[in-house]
Amino acid sequence: MRRDFADRDELIRYLKVEFADATALDDHVSSTRGGRAAAERTLEKIDPPRYAATRNNLRGKVSRLSAYIRHGVLSLAEVRDKALDMVRSWRDAEKFVNELAWRDYWQRVYAQIGDQVWIDREPYKTGFAASDYADDLPADIEHGTTGLVCIDAFSQELRETGYLHNHARMWLAAYIVHWRRVKWQAGARWFLTHLLDGDPASNNLSWQWVASTFSHKPYIFNRENLERNTERAYCKICPLYRRCDFEGDYASLERKLFPRKPVDEDWGDRFPPARRNGRKGGRR
Amino acid sequence: MSELIVWVHGDCLSPTNPALAAYQDAPAIFVFDEALIASWRLSLKRIVFIYECLLEMPVVIRKGDVAEQLTRFAERHEARRIVTTPSPSPRFKEICAALQQKFELEIIASEPFLDYSGKLDLARFSRYWQTAKKHLFE
Repeated sequence: MRRDFADRDELIRYLKVEFADATALDDHVSSTRGGRAAAERTLEKIDPPRYAATRNNLRGKVSRLSAYIRHGVLSLAEVRDKALDMVRSWRDAEKFVNELAWRDYWQRVYAQIGDQVWIDREPYKTGFAASDYADDLPADIEHGTTGLVCIDAFSQELRETGYLHNHARMWLAAYIVHWRRVKWQAGARWFLTHLLDGDPASNNLSWQWVASTFSHKPYIFNRENLERNTERAYCKICPLYRRCDFEGDYASLERKLFPRKPVDEDWGDRFPPARRNGRKGGRR
Repeated sequence: MSELIVWVHGDCLSPTNPALAAYQDAPAIFVFDEALIASWRLSLKRIVFIYECLLEMPVVIRKGDVAEQLTRFAERHEARRIVTTPSPSPRFKEICAALQQKFELEIIASEPFLDYSGKLDLARFSRYWQTAKKHLFE
């Protein structure tokens, strides 16, 4: 295949012809550039202490390195070294390195189980059986026409940029699996089509974590959590504000979403009021 | 004639790829796996991203059936050995198994994130992290 292109537009025109089927699925191109040079520029901008303090917020100082790491443009080892070089004490980079470790962990699981990443690792802990979940992604989610401003914006961003902040991925996944009762596999396939960093290990196993087929509990969120971690960007313009599907405290949302599930006695401990970030905001 | 070729795949798209670094003069190739792109339903933006990575690397770019394209490329260079980097993906294992029918395969890993060969409990991340943390920060 060709290697000589005057500019990015010419490359894109060429690839649209050479990969007509992929283009027919979705022809957006990300503003994130491929290549080692772009990866190194992005690596220079990481800030591990600020990452730890702000990573749950959509405007927080996240690294944007995921696509480069997924495709080995940067190795996890060199990103780890860079993070540790930038801080005086390793503790200031611990959270950043911990998140790199998730990638290493998913890769190790993938090496063990291979294509079984597409199969429920464990039963759902929602009171429902896998057969209670729909097989296909609803069209209003795929096209971003649910009427929920946050969900529609995440859908659009995914399709147009090939990237979503981790917290947005979790919210969108929880909405699909728990609010719409759709199998996580349908969502995982959709993400894989669009994410520049999509790979069946991190992607599917994270979906399984949200679904509760690879964790002890289903991950859910509420409007308050989303509103705070998005600087109100979506809620303040949403016509459904204060009456959307995500309204309410966690205990009442759980009763509504999982009516067959036994009452969870340690629910209160799971989201300490001081930091109701959705399991400390992370993916655990 | 060349003794070996380097196979670059989608899990190591860096000019610092250790297989390329070990054999700088060897012909190198990347093949877009058309069956995989179709089965994963990848869209254009991923192809563009990967292609931009490849344009910074000294590789010949092809598309089609990976094992078939690699075989053709190796035969044209009269190579008996194919050198590449590891991947946990089952697809990679399949392709390697096909290549090993005809070629000697060498897999060179880059520096690991966690250099630990003892037992790791992968049932939950928290258990993995308990062990990993000690080795990463000590």
